[in-house]
Order: sequence, then structure tokens, then C-alpha cells
Amino acid sequence: MSKISRRAFTGLAAASVSTLAFPSISLGAVPKVVVIGGGAGGATAARYIAKDSGGAVHVTLVEASKRYYTCFFSNIYLGGFRNYGSIGHNYYGLAVNQGVNVVHEWALSVDAVARKVKLGSGEHLSYDKLVISPGIDLKYDSINGYSSAVQDKMPHAWKSGTQVQLLRNQVMNMKQGGTFVMVPPPNPYRCPPGPYERVSMIAHQFKQSNPSAKIVILDPKPKFSKQGLFEAGWQKHYPGMIEWISSEDHGGLKNVNASTMEFETDLDTFKADAACVVPAQRAGSIAMAAGVNNGDWCPIVPASMQSQADENIYVLGDASVAKSMPKSGFSANSQAKVAANHIRGALTGSRVFDARYSNTCWSLIAPDDDVKVGASYVAGAEAIDVESKFISQADDSSETRAANYQESIDWYNGMTADMFS
Amino acid sequence: MKMLLFIILLLSSFCKFAFSEEQQIIAMGDIEYGQYLAAECSSCHHKSGASEGIPSIHGMDAEVFVALMLAYRAKDMENEVMQMIAGRLDDEQIGSLALYFSQLEPPK
Repeated sequence: MSKISRRAFTGLAAASVSTLAFPSISLGAVPKVVVIGGGAGGATAARYIAKDSGGAVHVTLVEASKRYYTCFFSNIYLGGFRNYGSIGHNYYGLAVNQGVNVVHEWALSVDAVARKVKLGSGEHLSYDKLVISPGIDLKYDSINGYSSAVQDKMPHAWKSGTQVQLLRNQVMNMKQGGTFVMVPPPNPYRCPPGPYERVSMIAHQFKQSNPSAKIVILDPKPKFSKQGLFEAGWQKHYPGMIEWISSEDHGGLKNVNASTMEFETDLDTFKADAACVVPAQRAGSIAMAAGVNNGDWCPIVPASMQSQADENIYVLGDASVAKSMPKSGFSANSQAKVAANHIRGALTGSRVFDARYSNTCWSLIAPDDDVKVGASYVAGAEAIDVESKFISQADDSSETRAANYQESIDWYNGMTADMFS
Repeated sequence: MKMLLFIILLLSSFCKFAFSEEQQIIAMGDIEYGQYLAAECSSCHHKSGASEGIPSIHGMDAEVFVALMLAYRAKDMENEVMQMIAGRLDDEQIGSLALYFSQLEPPK
């Protein structure tokens, strides 16, 4: 009760101050922010703007799903280390604790001139500042023979939800001694170590339930993130089970046939008993509808995460061109805080501090063998630039690797609280 | 927690000027800047501190906070993430974070 009245009071007070300093905002109105997408970028942005403005900014979060399953840690589920429910989250915390207006609808289009978002219901939401954090869409036609029509036969499972559970079922039900084919995506894509952690987790499952199974990785790339660490881990924990074939060796995936489960390359035709096929990616379609993309992704101003196309729109996370920052939930969360600080400054006159970004990606190779890579970043004139970085060492002690795993679990709890509480 | 006590003992035993240095750093702090900088910490540090690997830093004593950050910055304490995070914090930023976190309610 006291929380609500204080919020309402400070909201009015701050809004009346801001109208003096910022005449573009109509007299007495509380400035409005609309956030599209309730993932690591959008949920964090909505939470920080609402929390730190104490009611001085009205925040609406538009997210179609009532329950959000994180992509990060979906591999840990695939490895059998936790149940699917444990990576699901709701938006009650944002609504109740932070006063965010949560709207469970699709955002269909953006009128950047009138500053309005059109929802699936036909309703319009006006904004002073808009945050677009839609994640990725899949370019199904980037692989011959692959399409949304066959995605249940060969799950991509690259957006969390039923696809991930489907993949787990197919791994569990694959015939003894069968072959699992993994097709990672080409660069750039969401979660660079993700496909290789996924292979590790599926191998861990096979080691227990299907020890004579094989995993073939048909990579469209000649190298991949944390390659040395993953390959050493596979050799140690799953000797003879995993074969990674570089694009330079197989010459490119020519065709996939979901009926026969065949993968045709220059090198050979591979027959799978189960498969995971992750096509090329692009920014979520609302970014295209808003016109803030240049090709597949959305260029941003490094100091603020504002779209280069429209100063009233901010693009976060996977959809943005953040250059050296990987497309990860951690990156999106970090970018959201820079944008939230900038947006509050623009709308209420609060202090705007220099952008600073960071990211760490943990990857589990086997029980208590977890590797990590991370970096801190600054806003350069043209791009977000690396300031410092680190990566796990090949000769880390087993205690260090086990501590990394514990750290990743704690990070998951911290990160999801930072998004949703 | 054991590590924390160890560090405090270590610093207070053979750095006679340690507390004055920490207090000088805290005096540089700007709590509003600290709140902004603290958002980076909140990506991993849960306020409850229920975890085993990443401790809560809510309500941490400001001098202890400064001592820990100086130790990570100097790479006297191990953890790649913390060495990276502290490595790019200057004294004013460390003081600001110390001020901000020290006034939050500690976990119950």
C-alpha cells in the first residue's frame, strides 16, 4: 500500500519536473516507454526503467508468452541435469514489484512517425521511447530441404519452448547405436558456444542411455567458439562418440531430406536416426516491420543502443549489431542497462553515465566440467569494442571446472532475478 | 565467507594504511553512479546470497567491498570474471559501488 502511494507520488513529482526541462513531453503526462519482447533484453530494460524511475516513466512490456522459457540452460535440460519447468519464468514480478504494465500480445507493426505500436488485438500503444528486443527469427530456407514444415522431424530447438522438449524426446528415443546429426548455424547466430554445448549434453545423455550412439556435426563453419576446450572435453569424456566435420572437409550441406533423414554433402551422404538442424538467423520480424534493420540485423549507436535509423527506438540483444559482443542472453541483459539509463535520462533528466558492457558464457561439457569465456566492452565511435577478455585454460584443475559449473548455476539464478523479479 | 574473512585478516595484518586507503576510495564514491555501475554486478549476484559460488553483496560493509575489489583488481584473488570486472574499475567507481551496496539491506 505504502509502496504504491509512494510510487504514484514520486511519479507525479518527477513528471512535473521533467515537463519543465523537456518541453517536448506534453504537460503533466508521464512519459511512456514500450518494450517489445520479454527476454533477457526486453525484460531487463522494462525492469530497470520502471525500478529506477520510481514511477516517473510508464513502462509497458509487450510479450506474447505468459511463461518464458530461457534459451540459456536449455542445453542443461537436454543433458538431463534439470527439468524443463525449472527454466520457465513468469512476469508477475515485473508487474507487481516494479509496476510494469505487461501485455501478452504480439506486436504487429510500428509507426515510427506517429510513435505507435500496433498489437495483435488491433489496439495501439503510444510511446515516447520504444525498445525492440525480439530475439531471432530462423531463415529456414538457408538450408535446402529444411522448412518450418519439417522442424518437428528435425528440431532446431533454437528458440526455447516445445522444440527443446521435442529434441529431448528424440534423443531419449533414438535407437541403440544410432547416429545423431547436428547441424550448427552459420555466423552470426544466437549463443556461439550453444551448438557445441548441446552436443556435449546430448553425448552425456547417450553415455548413460545409449553408449554406442554416434554424433556427427556437419558444421557450415571451419572453426567455432571455444573449439580447443570442447574438443579436448569430448576426447576426455566421450572418446569415439563425436565427429566434428568442418565445412572445409564436407564442402557444404547440399540438401537435407526429412523423410529419409539424409544429409547430403560433397564428402558423403549421412543418414541420421535423430537430428538437430539449426538454420541461419536474422533479427525478429518486428525489427523489420519497424524499419530499423539493415539487412538481417539492426545497426545501433554503441554509446546508447539507439537504432541508427531512429533515435526514439532502441534495439537490444540478438537483433542488434553489437559487433564484438556475442548474441547471448548475458549481452542482451548488459545492453538493456545501458539503454535503460539512457532512456531515463532522455525522459526524466536523470544522469546518463558512460556505456559499459560485459558478457560471460559458461558451457557445460560433462558433469562438473564447465568452461567459460567472457569479455568487457566499451562504446567506440563505430562499434562496441572489446576492452578485456578471458577464456578458460586447457590445464584448468578439475576443482576450477567444477567451480565454474556452480558459478553458472548461481549466475542463472542471478540473471533470471535480474530480468523478472 | 571464509575467503572473505581471510582477506580482511590479510589486509588488516600487513597493510597499516589499508583502512585509510579504503576510506579514501569510499570518500570518492558517488552513490547514484554506484547504482548505475551495480547493474553490471546484478547480472550474476543474486540479492539473497542463497548460492554457493557467487555470494550476495547486498549490504556488504563498504571497506570490505573496497578491499575485495582492490584484491581482484590486483589479481591477488582468483576468478577470471571478477578480475576482469574489477580490472576496469577505477578508484572512484569502486568507491561508488561500495557506497551503493553498503546501504542495501543484507540477505536475511
